[in-house]
Amino acid sequence: MIYNLAQIIERSAAQFPNKEAFRCLDNAITYSKLEEQSNQLASYLIDAGLQKGDRVGIFMNRCLETATAVHGVFKAGGAFVPINPFMPVARVVTIMADCNIQHLLTTPAQKPKIDKIAAEAPFLTSVVGLAEVESPDVKAYTWETVFSRSLEAFTPPNILEQDLAFILYTSGSTGTPKGIMHTHYSGLSLARLAADLHDFSSDDRVGNFAPLHFDPSTFGYFAAPMVGATTVIIPDAHLRLPVSLAALVAKEKITVWYSVPLTLVQVLLHGEIDEHDFSSLRWVLFIGEVFPVKHLRELMIKWPHAKFNNLYGPAETVACTYYIIPEPPEVDEMVPIGTVWGNTDYMIIDSADQEVTKGEVGELVVRTATLMAGYWNNKELTERSFLRLPQAAGYDHIFYRTGDQVKENEKGELLFLGRNDRQIKLRGYRIELDEIEVTLLKNDQVEEAAVVVVETAEDERELEAVVRLVAGSGMHADEILNFSKTFLPSYAVPSSLRIMEDFPRTGSGKIDRNEIIKILEAQVYDG
Amino acid sequence: MTDKIAKYIKEEVANEPLTELDMQEDLLGSGIIDSVGMMKLVLFLENEFDVKIGPSDMTVENFLNLNSIESFLLKRKQETG
Repeated sequence: MIYNLAQIIERSAAQFPNKEAFRCLDNAITYSKLEEQSNQLASYLIDAGLQKGDRVGIFMNRCLETATAVHGVFKAGGAFVPINPFMPVARVVTIMADCNIQHLLTTPAQKPKIDKIAAEAPFLTSVVGLAEVESPDVKAYTWETVFSRSLEAFTPPNILEQDLAFILYTSGSTGTPKGIMHTHYSGLSLARLAADLHDFSSDDRVGNFAPLHFDPSTFGYFAAPMVGATTVIIPDAHLRLPVSLAALVAKEKITVWYSVPLTLVQVLLHGEIDEHDFSSLRWVLFIGEVFPVKHLRELMIKWPHAKFNNLYGPAETVACTYYIIPEPPEVDEMVPIGTVWGNTDYMIIDSADQEVTKGEVGELVVRTATLMAGYWNNKELTERSFLRLPQAAGYDHIFYRTGDQVKENEKGELLFLGRNDRQIKLRGYRIELDEIEVTLLKNDQVEEAAVVVVETAEDERELEAVVRLVAGSGMHADEILNFSKTFLPSYAVPSSLRIMEDFPRTGSGKIDRNEIIKILEAQVYDG
Repeated sequence: MTDKIAKYIKEEVANEPLTELDMQEDLLGSGIIDSVGMMKLVLFLENEFDVKIGPSDMTVENFLNLNSIESFLLKRKQETG
């Protein structure tokens, strides 16, 4: 019986020692090698002082080393914290300080950024993946040193399913990222549900499109190795160039595609997919935002041999509902998010936390095995995100408030209708508009700020900001945008910023964001 | 040629402030250029060097680093005379 994520590789290495566990372009690692190297990393981390539950940062782009890093941290009894290496240094240091990361795992390509981070993170004690770090107090170890360790004296720690396994940081509306804590239980539950629903087997080649800090990567890093499949890590460069991406997926004979809809749309429109053979594809899975129906329909017609599954779930649950699309949808039809998968229950509630009448719109709340343990170091936010239904004294059913508005159709399928707050999804990224406004307001020349999503003439959605400056300020729009870039990840930086003398306002004097959107869209269409 | 391209990438495309840009630097894998930046860069190259760049030219082989962009542009200019 396995009950923690550290046992995944151990078990698959016994069953499929010489099978490729992970690959990335021309590099690959077998299960037996991954078992050995992740144990060596665990042994190093424990010697370096790691205690059960300690957080270890993984600062890498998409590469083969991520596999050893993730499973090595599990085997050490630590919790991994994936850090997007494309984020500004200030944001990286904020996250590292928030959960007290003393050890960082990286690759030589990241050296310039690690030097900058180490200079601002006094709590950092060691870095694996570099020959040296410029800060004198930080010890550096190369991967070669780690992989030359003897395992004779290594005793694996006792890891329970309730132990902390990983923390995913996401945009927080107060301006500080929040850490979603997952346990070995929630992670393993996810792996089991995903493998079961899609009938994953050791014959599968699962494409991992998501970066480690984005929760769909749990399919490639946990579910696929659990059944002895091969996970094909798609490199960052290919994800930006649809022609190369399509060629790679065909060449690797990937059987499971799992990405955000935007990646699929780009490959459909610009990937020259008719040039390649995609007959290996069994499943096309997507999550993160709504798939535009006209493109979904076209892709389903092009790949009739593959099953298409619309998955849904915030990172707090990783995934919780699915809808296997029976046939190419009619163009003007909304694709449901479907129904909950195994080990999961749900309700649709009104603002008073009462269940709505069937067919009415309300907020989706879910109770599931994949539910997070809470937000790191933020009990108050955690409690606010939970709906507790007492069953007996001291025993509650805990539902997670998704913040998503849904309704149930006649067939009992859920339809996603939007948010009840200012969180948005843009190109698959989860963004809090409030966080961007708070960041702009950190600039002392900015008196008020409003950030909105605007539809462009090309039917695309873009983030735009308008600000009102303090009286007499001569600051330029570009300077304010550059200022925001030092705090925000690039996907959350507005594509344009305008300075306004004053904002349109509602009767009560609040900023009228709908009116701002109208003004900005009118300007787009007028050229 | 590469000086001009490097200057444009540093000033108009890069997601983060860059002081130096190595010929071998992985432009896509390092996050210096994202999808939007790629579109800007292609438009710039088309105008600046008077070449046509189609969707099938936008590959990892042609855009990995400054070196590969340079050899791609030289090859394309030769082909079109």
